[in-house]
Parts: sequence; structure tokens; C-alpha cells
Amino acid sequence: MKDDLAKVRNIGISAHIDSGKTTLTERVLYYTQRIHAIHEVRGKDGVGAKMDSMELERERGITIASAATYCDWKGHSINIIDTPGHVDFTIEVERALRVLDGAILILCSVGGVQSQSITVNRQMTRYRVPRIAFINKCDRTGANPDRVIGQLRDKLNLNAVPIQLPIGLEGDLEGVVDLVTMKAVYFDGDNGEKIREEEIPAALKAEAEKRREALLDAASMFSDELMEAVLEGTPTPEMIMNAIRTGTLKLELTPVMMGSAYKNKGIQLLLDGVANYLPAPTEVDNFALDLDKGETEIKVTNNPDDPMVALAFKLEDGRYGQLTYVRTYQGTLKKGDTIINARTGKKAKVGRLVRMHADEMEDIEEAGSGDIVALFGIDCASGDTFTDGKLNYSMSSMHVPTPVISLAIKPVDNKAQVNMSKALNRFTKEDPTFKTYIDSETNETIISGMGELHLDVYVERMKREYNAEVQVGAPQVAYREAITQRADFNYTHKKQTGGSGQFGRVGGYIEPLEEGEYEFVDSIVGGVIPREFIPSCDKGFRKAVVKGALIGAPITGVRCVINDGASHAVDSSDIAFQLAAIGAFKEGYAKAKPVILEPIMKVVVEGPTEFQGSVMGSLNQRRGMIVGTTEEDDYTAIEAEVPLSEMFGYSTDLRSLTQGKAEFTMEFASYKPVPKSVAEQLIAEAQKKNKEK
Amino acid sequence: MQKKELIEKNPIRHLNVCTESNVSSRMGLVIARAGLGKTAILVQIALDSLLNGKQVIHVSVGQSLEKTRIWYDDMFKDIAAGCKLDNPYEVYDEIMHNRMIMTFKESKLSRAKLEERMNDLVYQNVIRPSCIVVDGYDFACADQQFLADLKEMSTAMDLQIWFSAVSHRGDERVSAAGVPAPCHEVDGFFDTVIVLQAAAKGECIDLDIVKDTTGVSKCGKVLKLDPMTFMIKESC
Repeated sequence: MKDDLAKVRNIGISAHIDSGKTTLTERVLYYTQRIHAIHEVRGKDGVGAKMDSMELERERGITIASAATYCDWKGHSINIIDTPGHVDFTIEVERALRVLDGAILILCSVGGVQSQSITVNRQMTRYRVPRIAFINKCDRTGANPDRVIGQLRDKLNLNAVPIQLPIGLEGDLEGVVDLVTMKAVYFDGDNGEKIREEEIPAALKAEAEKRREALLDAASMFSDELMEAVLEGTPTPEMIMNAIRTGTLKLELTPVMMGSAYKNKGIQLLLDGVANYLPAPTEVDNFALDLDKGETEIKVTNNPDDPMVALAFKLEDGRYGQLTYVRTYQGTLKKGDTIINARTGKKAKVGRLVRMHADEMEDIEEAGSGDIVALFGIDCASGDTFTDGKLNYSMSSMHVPTPVISLAIKPVDNKAQVNMSKALNRFTKEDPTFKTYIDSETNETIISGMGELHLDVYVERMKREYNAEVQVGAPQVAYREAITQRADFNYTHKKQTGGSGQFGRVGGYIEPLEEGEYEFVDSIVGGVIPREFIPSCDKGFRKAVVKGALIGAPITGVRCVINDGASHAVDSSDIAFQLAAIGAFKEGYAKAKPVILEPIMKVVVEGPTEFQGSVMGSLNQRRGMIVGTTEEDDYTAIEAEVPLSEMFGYSTDLRSLTQGKAEFTMEFASYKPVPKSVAEQLIAEAQKKNKEK
Repeated sequence: MQKKELIEKNPIRHLNVCTESNVSSRMGLVIARAGLGKTAILVQIALDSLLNGKQVIHVSVGQSLEKTRIWYDDMFKDIAAGCKLDNPYEVYDEIMHNRMIMTFKESKLSRAKLEERMNDLVYQNVIRPSCIVVDGYDFACADQQFLADLKEMSTAMDLQIWFSAVSHRGDERVSAAGVPAPCHEVDGFFDTVIVLQAAAKGECIDLDIVKDTTGVSKCGKVLKLDPMTFMIKESC
């Protein structure tokens, strides 16, 4: 429990893939004495970094699931979420940002601002997360922090202000000059753990003065006290730090720090930066929705004595059952408390409360407001809000991107089938962007997610963690059929071949239904169809709409109206009227000009304006209808409606078309008729399949 | 009602936006105080072009893509319901393939930018517009060169370009042709100018065509705007 919320920092570490997030986190844990040895991501010792706890992560050298950890630094309690860098795992980044108060944006001093940095920065802006930029890998050949600072300003529109100056670069990197204290800082010892402060080297003195001047100019915009002190020539480090902090919290200034995590340089100063410049939970406005007052927004208090409100932002199946990561926004969460899930209304008892440290944990008795902890044995979904029952609040929902790619998977044997089910059950609970269902037409298990790598990782995890070997098939598009005009039917089902006969006549019409999938209207008067057989007709129509006559796809948007019919005192039965309705539907369907519908997706491509023309061309080639463009600064969002069948492989095409600088999101918009040529092709394929059967 | 009949009966024919007259390029302006229905008129001009099978770019300055699209959805629904169009969904789907919305921040709107975008669209075979409507351009800071450029572009590309402009109650300045501020000094760039004003009697809004040098629209208060639906009518 934190007695002093002002000294709590909930931070995330986000960046482009391979910028060294996990390496940096490893140093943070080492310097805060959470671990006693440093292991590299792809280290020769084979141990792997602490935060990369998943076997696959260690092997591939990328972080897939974010791990939460906690450390102490100079009296501050810091909760860190290490977030993945690959674009396909964006949900992890978004979920982390939702519950964090501040973040470190890591940039490679060689690669600079890369596409994922832009995405991550946009996400941080969306959630109003104050950030520090850390230019990593200053020891690398080609390191150029100044260029990266320029890119932070130009490409990310940040008011990036360096508060450090590197002492040497590439192989000569020795340390940094702290422009706030005007000291040269070196990192001695085997792991850079001994900090040595010296006078600024003479060769760097003039440059350091110049840069400090720029820093004072930028920082004094946020503090009259500092401005006056600058004019009088008496600014103190505290004044400068306070001004930087104010600017950072307002999201109007981004302090830039630098170093090399791999060479153990600059990390302790970065931790100082987290404590000095990033906000405490009390300094961030978080809002909940009051469900009793029509979801009006209410600012949460952060007061540990108020009724408890906590948000479950990540689920994980651990060794001891489901682990739920929660952030408390107000009140105190105690072991033994009864909490209520605001979405389901279900009560649950807090049996075990732990503080997470990658895949290890420590038991705690209570968690104060603003804390990030994990609960055991609580059944919930990611994004659920918990309260102590005194309030009916829900934290605003997280932005969950819709899956964009689907694949059919097939277990190789029975054992794999069982294991696959277990794996899918766990993955879908853990990750809201990963979805699975069984295609009723093809009977295949379909998995859908945020990208090819996303699904690839889950397929591999199935194999490794659950021993479920699966074959990956080609993706399927869910076509539908629909009628375009009204058509009458009058069908008699008659069967008199031994035993009891069957008789039923159904008359009426089918017509297109503007909203909804299916509607049955009973307009029978005078009892020409006995009341007990009316539901039979409905049942028959429902069976008929399951499979259309064109390609065998389900029929959607149809109203079936019966207004005439006939029955037989002995031979009419439930089944007879069901079959009559099926026959009647087929008769009407053939006359109702049926068409094949395909799913149309709303696609939004965001990227630099320079690629606008080629992106629009690529969407056009895919039978896309460009709805419009929104141009802001040098970024353009292109909105289009494109058939799903044309979108497979688009992520790869888009990456190559835009040098990886554009990204796209896709969500279902509507079903629309396929063009004639495509319909003919689909019908021919369906007929061929039927013949093969 | 069939689409053809709708086009023939559409009161907007008085503006002759899309008939096969000799006039293929034109600079038009709809000017009014805030809230009188400028956007509605631009959208109806665009819809008329679309119904005639032409392609349209709607340039929206400072308004979101979604909001602009809703204007089209609503206006089309009203038109289709008003004339009991036979197959409204089909017609809408068909015409929307010919419309594209571009939203800009004001500072970004220049001929070079617009032309670059248009070239992109034409080159990529996405759209080849014969009508552009520009909604939300701030004439208070109008750049004469920009308007001159667009006029030239309109002639060079056989385009009808229609603008909307906001006038203000307190500003009494008017050009010789009767075009109110802030467009009184740039009215020379426009071939047709429509001023919207509340009718002296009744609750309708008059569409006063104060200038037309193309010879296709009759000057005067030929058309009205229903303030409830923002639909153009011949009488109230």
C-alpha cells in the first residue's frame, strides 16, 4: 500500500520493435535491485531477459505479452508495464496506456522515429499520456540523437527538448551531460551501477551552455518563477525541474533523455526522470461512467478512503489459475474484500492479492488508490470494472481494434483437437483482439486477429504451450444471399406412399426485409392453416433460409408472409407443413431475383500524405469505393469501403507500398451484392463443389 | 418515381447544374448568414450532379468526413422519400461510387494542393470530377490568387466549382452586383451568386440569384428553401 500517492508512478515503456525496451527494463530492474543479474534478450547465457517470460518471446527476441512489474526508486514506487513493439500487438500497447499515468517513449538513435513510434505516439496522445523520450542505442554506429530530436519535432509534432547531451557517441559513448544540473555523469562498474559526477569536459562546455540556454527558454514557458530567475541569472535545478514537469504534465513539452541500455549508460538518470517529470496518479484526471446517472462522466477521486473502483485491464492464465491485472482508481482493494463486477453484477471475493514482477509475484494485503496489482481466481473479461458495491461506476471502455485477418485452422489429430480448444479458450479470454468461432458452413475453426504475425504467434503458442499441432488453411469470406423483389408462392406438399400420408399447402409471398435477418408474418384468416401448424411453417422457412440456392450461403433480409393454405384432417402434420414451407420458399426464392452478398469492410488507411495517391489506387484496384480523405498536417486518413474478399494480403501490400509508414484498420460495414462477374464465378465454384460431393 | 423523372422534376434544374448546356465550367457561390442552409444547397447541387451520372468531389474545410457524409445521407433520404423514388437504396449505392469527400484544415487549402489531390485521383482512376463543391472556406481571409487559380482550373478542367460563404449581420458592405461581404470584393471570380435570405413573408428562405453571367440561370428569387427540411422548392 502506498501511503503517499504523490510518490507512485504507473508508467509504460513503448517504442518501435527492436528499440530495446526489454533491454532497458532489465536495467531498470537491476538498478532498482529487483533482480541481481542482467540477462540479455538474445544473451549467450540462454536465460533471456526477465520481462520476456514467454518461451517464444525469448526465442524470437520480441515481447509479445506485456508483463507488469514493480520497483522502488529513491522513495518512489514505480509500476512498469513492458509493452510489445510490433504493430500486430497494438492492443497490448493500448491496454497498457489506458491504465498508465505516464510513459517512456524509446527511440533508436540510429533508426529514429519509425512507423511504430508514430503509432505509439498517437496512442499516447489519444489517452493523454505525458511522456519522456529516451534515445537509446547511442553506442551504435551511426547514432545521431540530434536527428532523432528533429524527427520528434517534425514527425511527431512534439515539443521535444533535450535535457541531456551525450559525451561521445557510437563506440566513444562515455556518459551524458545533465543540462539541468550542468554536470557530466559517468556510469562505472561492470554494470554501470556506480554513478560518477564530474565537471563538464572542456570540449563540450560551449555546446552544453548553448543547449541549456535552449532548455531554459523552453522550460520557462511553463514557470514565471523560472522566467524571472533566468532573467536574473539565478535559476536553480529545482526550478528547472518543476517547470519541465509542468510542461510535461500539460503534454506541451517532452523532455528528451539519452544513453544506451545495452552499455548500461543513462538508465539511472532516466529513472530520476520518471520520478521527477512523470505524473503521480493524483495528477492525472481519470473518468468513470456513472451507470446510475445515464453514464455521465465522473472524475475519480484517487482517495484511498472513498468507495473502491478498479479496472481489470489484462487477464492471464498463470500456474495458479486466472490472473487478473487491475488498476485501482479510488478506494482501497483489500484481501478478503467482496467486489462486484459492474458489467455482470457478479460478486467475487478477493482471495489473493499479488504484486507482479514479470512471472513472479509477491503476496500483499491491500492495494491503495492508483496501484497496479493482480488478483487470483476472479472471473471477468478484460476491460471490466470492479467496485465495492457502494458505487455503480464503469471506467470508460478501452479502444479495442477489430480483428482484420482470419484463418482456418484444423487440428492434426484428436489429441490436438482437445488441446486446441483449451488453448483457444485461454487466448480469447486474454486478448480481446483475438477471436475464434466455428464456421457453420465449412465446419472449420476460424481464428481472427490483428495481423499475420499475431495469428502466427497464437498458432505457435498452441503448438508449444498446449502441444496442439494445427494445419493452417486459407481464409474464408462469409457470403450471404438475399432476394431483391417480392415473389409469390403457392406450394402443396403431398405424399401418399404407404403408411400415413403428408399434406400441407402454403400460400403467400416473400419480400426483402430492410432491417433484420428474417421475419415471419402470419396473415392467415379463417383457419385455412390450423393454428397448431403455423409454427411449423415458421420452422420450415427458418430451415430454408439457412442455405440459398445460388451458392449455398445463408439467406439474409427476408420476410416470409403466409396468407393462404390448406390442410387435411388426417395427413397434415408438423413435418408436412415444415416441408410445405421449405418447398414454398424455394418456389418463391427462384422468382425473387436472388443475389449474392459479400461483406464490405470500412477500411481506414492512415499514413503520410505523400502516399495518398498510391494508397487510393491500391484500394481502387481492390474494388474499393473511396469515401473520402481527411488531411491533417502531413498525415492523411483515407476511408474506403472494400469487399473483405479483396483485403487478404493487404497489410503486406500496404507496407511495401508505403515503406511501412502507413497502417490500416478494418471493420465490418455492411453486406452488399457482388458484381455480376464475381457472382458468376462464385456460382460456378459452388456448382463444381456440389458435383465433387 | 424513376430516377429520370426525379432529375427532370428536381427544382434545382433552375440552376442548371448538370443539363447539357454549353456551359461546362462555372464558378458558383452560395452566400448567407450562418444556419440558413448553405451546406444543404451545396449538397443538393452535388446530388443533382451525381444523379446525372457525373462525378463529384466535396471539399469540406474544417468539418469531419462523417458529418459531411451524414448531410448526403439525410438529403438523399428526403429527396427519395419526397418523390417516392422506386429503388432508393440501389440508386444511392450507385451514385455514392461517384462521390468523394475531402476534408482539409483551412490553412492547407490551396490550388496546388487541390490540383495535386485531383491528379492523384485521376491518375489512379479513382474519380474524374465534373463538379466540386467547397464548403467552409473562409472568405474573410480569402486569397484572391487562390480564387483566380481555381477559376482558371475550372476552365481548364471543365469543372463546376461551387463555394459557400458566411455573411455577417452587422456587415452592410455589398458589391455593385449585390453580393454581400465578405465576398463583395471577389464577386468578379464568380459566374453565379446565390444569396440566401429569410423571405419577407412566410417562413421560407429565398434563394436570390443575384448574379449569373452564364445565361443558364434566371436572376431573381426563383427558388425557395424549406427551413425545416432544407430542401430546395419552387414555392413554399
